Amino acid sequence: MKTERELELYFGPQHIGMVGNFSITLKVEGDRIIEASANPGYLHRGFEKLMEYRTWIQNFPMVCRINVIEPDSMEMVYAMAVEKLAKIEVPERANYIRTIVLELARLTSHLFGCWAYANMLGFDTVAQWAMYHRDLLLDLFEELTGARVYHIYIWPGGVRRDIPKGFKDRVLNTLHTIGSCIPDYDNTFFNNRLFYKRAKNIGKISKDEAKKLGATGQILRAAGIKYDIRKVEPYAVYDKVNFEIPTREDGDAYSRVWVIRDEMIQSVHIIMQCFEKMPQGEVYNRVPNPFKWKIPKGETYVRVESSRGELGLYLVSNGEDKPYRVHFRTPSYPHGLIILEKLLKNASIADVGNIMISLYVVAPEIDR
Amino acid sequence: MRNKLQVKKGSFLRPFKAIRYLFEKPGTLRYPFEQKEPSPRYRGFHLNDWDKCTGCGNCADICPNEAITMVEITEIKPKPGEKNERPKIDYGRCCFCGLCVDICPPGSLRLSRDYFHIHFDKKTFTLLAKDEKTDKEHFLSAEKYSIFQASLMHRKENNEGFVSDLKYSLFEPERVPMPQVPPEKRKLSFIEQVLGYSQQEAKKEASRCLECKLCEDACPAHLKISDYIRAIYEDKPDESLRKIFEDNPLPAICGRICMAHCEEVCSLGKRGKPVAVRWLKRYASDMIKDYKKALELKPIKPTGKKVAVIGAGPGGLSVAYFLKLKGYEVTVFDSLPGGGGMMRIGPPLYRLPIESIDKDVNYIASLGVKFKFNTTVGKDISFEEIYKNYDAVYLGIGTTVSRSTHVKNSDKAYSALPFLKENKIGKGVKVGREIIVIGGGNVAMDVAREALRLQHIQYPGEKVVTKTVSLEDWDIMPATKEEIEEAKAEGIQFNPGWGPKEIKVEDGKVKGLLCMKVKSVFDEQGRFRPTFYEEKEMFLEGDMVIEAIGQVPDFSFIPKELFDKLEFTPRKKVKIDENGKTSLPKVFAGGDIVNLNLDAVTAIADAKRAAEGIDLYLKGDK
Amino acid sequence: MRKKQKVKGIKMEKLKDEIASIFKEIKVNIAQDTKLIISAKKEQVLNLLRFLKDKGYNHLALISCVDWIEEKEFELVYILGSYLEKGGKGHIILKTRIHRKKPKFKTIIPIFENAEPYEREIHELFGVDFEGHPRLTHLFLERDYKIPPFRKDFDTREYVKEVFEKIPFVEDKK
Repeated sequence: MKTERELELYFGPQHIGMVGNFSITLKVEGDRIIEASANPGYLHRGFEKLMEYRTWIQNFPMVCRINVIEPDSMEMVYAMAVEKLAKIEVPERANYIRTIVLELARLTSHLFGCWAYANMLGFDTVAQWAMYHRDLLLDLFEELTGARVYHIYIWPGGVRRDIPKGFKDRVLNTLHTIGSCIPDYDNTFFNNRLFYKRAKNIGKISKDEAKKLGATGQILRAAGIKYDIRKVEPYAVYDKVNFEIPTREDGDAYSRVWVIRDEMIQSVHIIMQCFEKMPQGEVYNRVPNPFKWKIPKGETYVRVESSRGELGLYLVSNGEDKPYRVHFRTPSYPHGLIILEKLLKNASIADVGNIMISLYVVAPEIDR
Repeated sequence: MRNKLQVKKGSFLRPFKAIRYLFEKPGTLRYPFEQKEPSPRYRGFHLNDWDKCTGCGNCADICPNEAITMVEITEIKPKPGEKNERPKIDYGRCCFCGLCVDICPPGSLRLSRDYFHIHFDKKTFTLLAKDEKTDKEHFLSAEKYSIFQASLMHRKENNEGFVSDLKYSLFEPERVPMPQVPPEKRKLSFIEQVLGYSQQEAKKEASRCLECKLCEDACPAHLKISDYIRAIYEDKPDESLRKIFEDNPLPAICGRICMAHCEEVCSLGKRGKPVAVRWLKRYASDMIKDYKKALELKPIKPTGKKVAVIGAGPGGLSVAYFLKLKGYEVTVFDSLPGGGGMMRIGPPLYRLPIESIDKDVNYIASLGVKFKFNTTVGKDISFEEIYKNYDAVYLGIGTTVSRSTHVKNSDKAYSALPFLKENKIGKGVKVGREIIVIGGGNVAMDVAREALRLQHIQYPGEKVVTKTVSLEDWDIMPATKEEIEEAKAEGIQFNPGWGPKEIKVEDGKVKGLLCMKVKSVFDEQGRFRPTFYEEKEMFLEGDMVIEAIGQVPDFSFIPKELFDKLEFTPRKKVKIDENGKTSLPKVFAGGDIVNLNLDAVTAIADAKRAAEGIDLYLKGDK
Repeated sequence: MRKKQKVKGIKMEKLKDEIASIFKEIKVNIAQDTKLIISAKKEQVLNLLRFLKDKGYNHLALISCVDWIEEKEFELVYILGSYLEKGGKGHIILKTRIHRKKPKFKTIIPIFENAEPYEREIHELFGVDFEGHPRLTHLFLERDYKIPPFRKDFDTREYVKEVFEKIPFVEDKK
């Protein structure tokens, strides 16, 4: 029912509190939100249609551009789907290198999330530290793959080049540099009374609600459900390394950000174990000629635990040299379009950014 | 083990501990005074080495954004089998993925570590990729380079980033090995050396081809090579055979003995092994038992004109096939008992068995071409009769007379062609225990390897040897490298750089060959004029000498008044115009008497051209 | 100490037999040991989804649509997973076919609440009408198209030539 005090606000794509090109239409009454509806579509590039016009290898430089912040998990899921349909084996050493790359990408993505969240709340110092440490990790990627953001490194059959000499020492040094700053992060942000007051009981979601609305990733783990695809359906070498899944009980923004912090520490453990256990050998099993390669008919659905949740790919092949249908199931799709709208009811305008970034929504993933 | 994580409320004062960062060194670079060095594998702007680049265009085919165009550069004079095109890259579309680097077969396209370009004019964002070897103007040394002016026209030299690596390339540099009989076993008999690909192997070999079509330019007959290889990859040998037959009606023969000009220019051969085009042609012809069913020709309307072809070699057979397809009535005359010409008597049985020749010839006969074997023109039938009764004549007589060295006692030596002919379709020749073959070409290799097999058959278990003597040294020996390697593996001894002086004879029996050291083979103008060091001598022992130094044609069947009108080029070849017509009316020619390549596929190319020429001539007549 | 996630729940073979026995005229098979692929008629889809949700597969991962233009049909694909409390590991891919001319289907929002944006997207990009959906408005696209853009007969290059100024392709620059 529309009263006279109701106002329609555009929390639009150009907003200081918005990360990424995404807009929400809010119906507010005073400071309370009555109804919210999300407006995606600013970054719709039509990838799934464009990928039907290119051959299997020509698609691979395009896939990483779907999620700007963590491109490696996109490349991984495409490579896994093609390998499953075409029955290609990946050498052992390549699996270890893929795991290291994926975990480093998870670290950069979580640091980016810390920057976004801390900026939103006004903790500029911590935000700049997070961005600086992310930059050190991007330098490592440049040395391994040749580019800082769009790596184009994991392709069907293995990885594109072997690790250069001295890479292991540089990675461990960088991780040590970042790790020795954790007490400062804790003192300044995670154990800060202001953060507690801003984030506690905001955006609360219960266990049953999370399951009903199709949430995956940190939202589930912060609500108390211990579910991680790396343990349920292991891919790469996740069944050969030891790591734990951090969970919390409350399901609000405070728990979600703490879960992110704990996951970063687990990633560091995984990377160090991978370097110790990595065998010698080949890193690439050559795939057939890119101009003539045809994959037999079939379909498959593969999934990967990206830093935001379950990332899946539904791939249909018609026996041709181009894919017939490509459909990415991105984790920000249910989080940003259903859960966000539910959680924003009866929230205050100041908390819109808070809730959105703690849900870890990234706009390019929704639109593809 | 559950994580017992407690919710801490935190404190207000602890954050002030971070104030110590105010006094620490900042982590940012004071750009542009402090610069960041890009990593050794950085993917920036393109570099291209114009000496190695062949213009194949594979980079343009694989680019996912169609950012590369091949532009024709008129200043480059390409080698045969290369194009004078070079890639031009549009940086508005390029996404710097590096797929073009991974597929470049010679490895000339690389990515550098430059990545700056700031300009108002958008036309400057396309680049004809070069490198510091050909473009000293835009690639500057470290002293002259300045980061403030960096752009596509102001780049650092020796700044390579992402380069090609054969282990991670997108093409397969290794060939599927062809099963062959090993040397120790094959030198004891005339068993066919090459066993042929199975279906799996042929499909795998056919999948290597990158379809750049450089081979089609280099083939003298311009076969549609990438199309027929693609048909083999898709398991359609009929389609493949149809594509081959558009330009070459002798796949079983050429699939065994072709010189393979295509394989010499194949892109994959630049840093790996070329695609086995010849073996795949053999596979296509071997797979089909009955050509007629696979090729499904439409019925041909006869024109009523008659053409005579003298010589049933590759040239004669091809011209008969092409003319029959146009509706002419063709009669082929040959002095041998079957078709093939030089192919029938020349290459030994371990390279070209008679069944393969007959397979191709029988198909051409089944189309309605009349063959008159055992008919020597000039003896069994006169040339004037043919010249009078037929509307056009094609001379595909080839070079059938062996040359001689004319040294002392060379009448005691055997000649190459009669030796080979007697062994292949005659009664056989009794050979000696130590044979000396004079010559360095492919015919000499055929003679030597055949002689070796005859020695092992006629003297089993005894010590026998075959030696060769050639004027040319290793670097200019005219035989193909494949033949030389296989001959060496079978145990033939080579003596390059020696010329024959005299054959020593004692009591009517050959004792050996006296040789002298060669000074030079060609003179300054490139003509064949060997000179020797007469005093440096070497004596090779042997009880049989065979001369294999070349062949000349035999024009004795043409009567004098017609022969005088026949014009020749300065290189002693018959002169023809662009339609294959000689200076004699009604007479066309092609093959070894016309071209300098002296192989089967060039004869087929000449025959196709002459068939078009005869067609035009006979249509234009009335 | 390595601890694998304890998987309790129904095994795929048992589930396959149960489905085959209850529902007639259905094609069920197991591909690659953790995926169950079911091809059903469009009338059976809602019952099947309720049945599978009771069995523990209560996570709707994806609703997708494939355009089989030669067979003149659309194929709707429902991919279900489980949270490992009652259902087993692995996924179920449920496929059904509808006509290509005037395609319509019932919405599954009463069973799975989070199906709303997936169906909205399929409506916008393929033109499938979902009966009972509360909000079938624009999601990504901002203009109207004569043919919904993700169908196979929509040619992207033709559309660009008609609607926008012709940006010359790199091949035309010669």
